[in-house]
Amino acid sequence: MFVKSERFWNPLLETLPREKIRELQVKKFRRIMKWAFEHSKFHHQLYKDAGMEPGDVKTMADIARVPKVEKSMMRGIQKKDPYPYGDMLCVPLEDVSEFRQTSGTTGQPVYQPDTWQDWEWWAEAWAYILYSQGYRKSDRVFIPFGYNIFVAFWAGHYGAEKLGCEVVPGGVLNTEARLLKMQELKATATMATPTYILGMADTARKKLGIDPATDLNIQKITCAGEPGASIPTTKKRMEEAWGAKVYDHIGATEIGAWSYECEEQPGGLHVNEGLFLVQIEDVETGEIIEEPNKRGKMVITAFDRLAQPCIRFDSKDIIMWHEQECPCGRTFRMIKGGVVGRADDITKVKGVLLAPTAIEEAVRGVPELGDEYEVTVTKKGDTDDISLKVELQTEAENLKEKVLAKLNDQLRLKTNLRYNISFHPYGSLPRYDVKAKRFKDLRKDH
Amino acid sequence: MDNILDIKELGKMIDEIETAANGLIEKAQGIQAIERNAERILASTTMLKINVSDLIN
Repeated sequence: MFVKSERFWNPLLETLPREKIRELQVKKFRRIMKWAFEHSKFHHQLYKDAGMEPGDVKTMADIARVPKVEKSMMRGIQKKDPYPYGDMLCVPLEDVSEFRQTSGTTGQPVYQPDTWQDWEWWAEAWAYILYSQGYRKSDRVFIPFGYNIFVAFWAGHYGAEKLGCEVVPGGVLNTEARLLKMQELKATATMATPTYILGMADTARKKLGIDPATDLNIQKITCAGEPGASIPTTKKRMEEAWGAKVYDHIGATEIGAWSYECEEQPGGLHVNEGLFLVQIEDVETGEIIEEPNKRGKMVITAFDRLAQPCIRFDSKDIIMWHEQECPCGRTFRMIKGGVVGRADDITKVKGVLLAPTAIEEAVRGVPELGDEYEVTVTKKGDTDDISLKVELQTEAENLKEKVLAKLNDQLRLKTNLRYNISFHPYGSLPRYDVKAKRFKDLRKDH
Repeated sequence: MDNILDIKELGKMIDEIETAANGLIEKAQGIQAIERNAERILASTTMLKINVSDLIN
């Protein structure tokens, strides 16, 4: 029995009863672990050193004992043969058909080999995402992405094709040309980072005199690469600017496209539990967290990625389970509010734990402020100092005092910290096309 | 609404596609136009297995 509905890309998996999902996950975990044990020197040694073999994995508790892999380990592995991937590679080098690399946000980029089957799998994972967000054959999807060595919207492109959408690759065009092409073609959907979605809307209004909400035909937007689409104030800004529904998705080059916000916009994202196993670990104790609303570190496995497997990968993403089931009918569990931070991003300032996403939520919650801001943490003597640069909307220049009070309130509420706030002319702070770097911690010994 | 779907039957059909694609590769005598396209069929077949066959115990 399954729920027959046009809502689902694959109702067989997406509405599978919870206990069946768990059974399937244990079975698939054992299979990918066996594949890696038999085909990757690195994994073979890793599991041997831990005294574990794939046959030992019979329950979720067994999985939690399997050694984890961190990105820093992958950097070391990739210095070995075969060049340039190292001995985590599970297929002959000539079977690799796709090269991508991580963005290097947290250090030296990691290279990612995929076979054609892995690439089909990427598209499949994106098909789940896009279908759940209402993409259908009738959509014309404009992708304003540089089509380079980063994976993000390549996979979105192939996923949209798999659904039967018409895909417009807006590669080397500049922002103005992309907007004009979207308008000319009456594109119905687009995908980009939240930063670029807001940036495009700004360019449309200020440089082209186009209001994306009324002059374009975009009805849905899929975001990736940054947490903005799960930050309510940023999501609201994007939806108002474009007159469109904005959906979040989370994925990573070395993992895959593992979660998606569905059309219900339930304040969380479904984990694609047919293709991935997400475990949340207590940062201090390493205990697996099953209860909702308790933050922990994500450890993730991709069940079907073969060239360079992702097994118990310690992503450093901080997430928490949602307490609710989604009204959409999917039985896949949800994480609440997306990725709420990264273990290596959340930092203590003035003795208080600070997640940069909380500052974004505060700034974007003040409508008189522009979309851009910049935070710098420094040490003055023994005291931490946080400077926050913001831009006033041109029409709000006479409201500085009122806006300052409003922003201070929001920051106190969301972060419990005080900031040295400075106002800057609209358009003077750096603009970003892909991933923004708005948070700088310049303390040496934090 | 008809919710009865014979997953085992679907799984059998998927296996037949896999067998046929492997057969093409075996008999292709190195002809790349056959081998490579059959390899692509196998990649798509794996997606069917992930979506359907994996659910069959």
